[in-house]
Amino acid sequence: MNVQLLDLACGALLLTAVLILWRRELAVIIRVFALQGVALAALVAVLAAGEGAPELWGVAAGILVLRAGVLPWLLRRALARGGAAARETRPLVNVAASLLTAAVLTLLAYAVSPPLVALAPSPATQAIPVGMTVVLIGFFVLVTRRRALSQLVGFLLLDNGITAVGFLTTTSVGLLVEAGISLDVLLAVLVLQILTTRIRETFGDTDLDELRELHD
Amino acid sequence: MSALGVVGGVVQPLLVVAGSPLLIGVLRQVRAKLEGRAGPGVLQPWRDLRKLLLHKESVTPRGTSEVFRYAPLVLMATTLVVAVVVPFVTTASAVDPVADLFAVVALLALGAVALALAGLDTGTAFGGMGASRETTILALVEPTLLVAIFALSVRVGSTNLAAIISSTLDDPARVISPVSLLAAVALIVVIIAETGRLPVDNPATHLELTMVHEAMVLEYAGPDLALVELASAMRLSVFLGLLANLFLPWGIATTATPLALLIGVAALVVKVGLLGAALAAGEVFLAKMRLFRVPELLAGSFLLALLAVAASFFLA
Amino acid sequence: MNLAATGLGVAGTLGVVSALAGLVVPRGARAAVVGTGTALTGAAGVPAGVAALAGQSFSVTWPGLLPLSGVAFGLDTLGGLFVAVTGGVAIAAGIYGIGYARHGLQARATQAVFPLFVVAMLLVPASASVGTFAVCWELMAATSLLLVLAEHRRRPEVASAGRWYAVMTHLGFVTVLIGLVVFAAHAGGDSFAALRSAHLSGATAAAVFVLTLAGFASKAGILPLHAWLPRAHPEAPSHVSALMSAAMVNLGVYGIVRVGFDLLHGGPRWWWLLVLALGAASAVYGILQAAINNDLKRLLGYSTTENLGLVLVGVGAAGLFAASGQRVLAGVALAAALLHVVNHAAFKTLLFLAAGSVLHGTGTRDLDHLGGLRRSMPVTTGLFGLGALAASALPPGTAFVSEWLLLQALIHGLPAAGVATAVAMPLAVAAVALTAGLAVATFVKAFGVGFLAKPRGTGAAQAHESPPSMLAGMGLAAVACGVLAVLPATVLPGVAAASGFGDPTTGEAVTLRLADVAGTLSPLVLVLALVAGAVITLALVRGLLARRARREARLWDCGAGPMSARMEYTATSFAEPVQRVFDDVVRPETDVDVDHHDESRYLVQAVAYRRRVPDRVERRLYEPVLAAARAWGSAGRSLANGSVHRYLGYGFYTVCGVLILLAVTR
Repeated sequence: MNVQLLDLACGALLLTAVLILWRRELAVIIRVFALQGVALAALVAVLAAGEGAPELWGVAAGILVLRAGVLPWLLRRALARGGAAARETRPLVNVAASLLTAAVLTLLAYAVSPPLVALAPSPATQAIPVGMTVVLIGFFVLVTRRRALSQLVGFLLLDNGITAVGFLTTTSVGLLVEAGISLDVLLAVLVLQILTTRIRETFGDTDLDELRELHD
Repeated sequence: MSALGVVGGVVQPLLVVAGSPLLIGVLRQVRAKLEGRAGPGVLQPWRDLRKLLLHKESVTPRGTSEVFRYAPLVLMATTLVVAVVVPFVTTASAVDPVADLFAVVALLALGAVALALAGLDTGTAFGGMGASRETTILALVEPTLLVAIFALSVRVGSTNLAAIISSTLDDPARVISPVSLLAAVALIVVIIAETGRLPVDNPATHLELTMVHEAMVLEYAGPDLALVELASAMRLSVFLGLLANLFLPWGIATTATPLALLIGVAALVVKVGLLGAALAAGEVFLAKMRLFRVPELLAGSFLLALLAVAASFFLA
Repeated sequence: MNLAATGLGVAGTLGVVSALAGLVVPRGARAAVVGTGTALTGAAGVPAGVAALAGQSFSVTWPGLLPLSGVAFGLDTLGGLFVAVTGGVAIAAGIYGIGYARHGLQARATQAVFPLFVVAMLLVPASASVGTFAVCWELMAATSLLLVLAEHRRRPEVASAGRWYAVMTHLGFVTVLIGLVVFAAHAGGDSFAALRSAHLSGATAAAVFVLTLAGFASKAGILPLHAWLPRAHPEAPSHVSALMSAAMVNLGVYGIVRVGFDLLHGGPRWWWLLVLALGAASAVYGILQAAINNDLKRLLGYSTTENLGLVLVGVGAAGLFAASGQRVLAGVALAAALLHVVNHAAFKTLLFLAAGSVLHGTGTRDLDHLGGLRRSMPVTTGLFGLGALAASALPPGTAFVSEWLLLQALIHGLPAAGVATAVAMPLAVAAVALTAGLAVATFVKAFGVGFLAKPRGTGAAQAHESPPSMLAGMGLAAVACGVLAVLPATVLPGVAAASGFGDPTTGEAVTLRLADVAGTLSPLVLVLALVAGAVITLALVRGLLARRARREARLWDCGAGPMSARMEYTATSFAEPVQRVFDDVVRPETDVDVDHHDESRYLVQAVAYRRRVPDRVERRLYEPVLAAARAWGSAGRSLANGSVHRYLGYGFYTVCGVLILLAVTR
């Protein structure tokens, strides 16, 4: 049953990543991102139940608060201040093509993961490719989106993927390490949020391609 | 050919033919209730069919050929064959050598092609437009469909429908695996596109610019139209029945006893009815998508199907 | 002398005699004599091939016939399959040619070359040494080139098509020749037997495989070396197109299978992944171009690229399975590929011949000007419809059976394989599926727009049915299509024998039941079930329910008066959604001109819409190469100023230079 739950959590992780790539409305993207936080927390909780480790339960709770609560709240606030630009209107790669790219990225993740899985074959490590896929999709979002906010979501997606891979490879990453990573991410998001607000105040929009003009 | 298969082969087509208009009736009634209308009642599609079959004559528009006249027949024949061979009520198929998922999918495509050719045969802009859109959607649906089938058949090692359904019955835990869930979502999108439901096509519209299926069948009248309407309804119930039995096969008869058969029929009716009601309820909240946004939807469902395949291989 | 050898000998003799007859017989009877001769040549080739498939192999060598290596012929099961297919296509094309060639194709050269082309194609798979193979291959290339150029006086495009074909086919020949010569040099003998027993180092084997693959793939019209195919096939006379598209391109597959599986005994995985990837890309790209194209014969040409792509998917999968030790699946995949070769030959012959019949009856190949042919050309319409069904991978059709077999192989390949296979198989399935879907759209367009509804142009309005000999040729191909579609088990044992992996099925007459993996399909039962369904429906509706008679009425025209042909959907408009969906892949060039009335710019007088779909691979890959060649050419122009003395001088300097080099380095 544990394995089934683990697989389900991984499936949810993957599905939310795909949905973030699929949808255009930033509000929906943020909501889906919060769902992914829940899925990630569930993943860690399943691992915790499997290991019977109380500190992992703590980590799971922390992830739930941070990634399903605090980060989406920050993002929503940034969106609310942003005003009109509520949609990712013109991604650099159109949606259908980016979905197909995601398909290829998935297969790539599966193709490169076997060495990692072979280190310690178990149901948890079997799911490493899922984490890798989320990492790659996050990177792809980061590269191809124009709005600063959706790029930020891409970055956070990347981080969710890294966390997932971390927990799947070595279940006991340790409370301290996870806490450190989470703090880093929080800090990065805050900094980026301030930055985007400043950019908007100065230039009126957050289409990052237009920053190229600063170069001259 | 087992006794169970023969019984299924007789019961299933009768059930599908009799029940499909009722399914459409349920869909419309659910929609009407949710929109605060009284609705015409569940039996209305059957009343329409009776009128068309008994009291109207077929009309052959001038300049059309045999293709136009026989397309409803081909459509009906393909759907009937599918209703006979797919294990809906019994796990054994009446005609096992045809109960292959690829063959079933291709048969349903053949029916759609017959209708598209009929649309082109009329030589009107509507017919051509409907045919063109229908074949485009058909072409784009195919990869998702086959990859989803791939995901379902990999763990069974066969594309035979009876084998897939029996294996799910033997191992119920599979149903909540990511493979099943992802493949189910992909297949639902495929079914919506193939049967022309919202948001891909609007079955209630007669507005030229938005329609796909209705545009192709615009010239049909009388018994011909009745056949087309009945076959389209049967396509919907066949697809929903396939979805229900691939993922939730419980209740299907494994022996040829009357009780088992009765339970099989009841289970199918309940499952398809619920799926249909859910579909109708979902449609209330959806608007039709622009035709050129449909590829996005299908690309997404293709991705899900591919993820299902990947999951079936790696999360074993 | 067994049947295989006798048959092949008779075929060769008949072919040469027909060629001579083409030179001497007076103009009026020439087409009939040569057509009959060619059909008889094919008819002698078929039993030879079938005998070889049944196990009667032979080999002969005439050491003195050619300098250096001599001539060696031999026929085994693999070659036998291709000889039989070529023979079958030649019968249909020969009979068809009797009627078709009577209109402007009786020139002596064209008529004499036609049977020689068939003989060359029969001899290629029967060659048993590198030298013989090269000679036959070159003979095939040269004769086909002459046939492509048959109508060069009438249409200027033919010359350009011929140039492309000449250059590409010879570049392909050069790479094949280099590959085989390197192979022979390492093997220490040029007979295939010597090559088979040679042990090559990994790098050499890889070089040989890649070089021959490039040449053979270009012959098979595989991406990116396909550019000649959609040019040459439409411009050649239609019975020649049928021969080229249904028989000649197969020999590219023959070459890949012969070198890869037989002579090199399989190879590492990346070879076959390469073949698989090339096949999948060609299949999708070919059918996409076909779906958008409006020229009936060009569309069929692109469809050839697609089908040969599918064949290579099967060949690549077979190699991949064989490399990982799964011989059963390799057998299924290779049998599927070779069955598709046979099926493709049958329906592509039919389709090209029917397209020729349309061209003959209407004078145009442009789908936008066709339509309404079912009244004036009922037989051609019916036969083209049958071919379109066979080509579009729908159930009672031919291609459905082989694609089903291919998908079975791909699906069963996943669980036991390594990572590369696991990634390749789902993508291959998706590619095959997309190809099948687009093929449906393509052939619905070709049949629905080309033959149904109202005529869109004067040519189509004045169409007339073709003479009986042409119909007979098409009918023969149609019978083959029907048999292959309904009873594939009749040819599958032969195909399996050719694959060399054994029969993948249990050998039942009606049902295809895979022997060692699960998979069952019975096309005959499927057809019977469909017929039963239709009869029951018809009986119920017409017999019991609908008692009122059918009546005729006007089309619904919104009350605006009768609909004209100008209001119909054209092939361009039919393909527009597909074109828009795949905008990023095909990059069409469209422009719209709107003419306004003089009085007001709000009143539109006419709107002109033009669309061109350039072959994007061609544009990206070939144009830079051609531009570079042109640049080199103009850079070298100063060397060639027309003075004979100067040219002789170059020779003299070179000879001296070489001698000096020898003197210095010795």
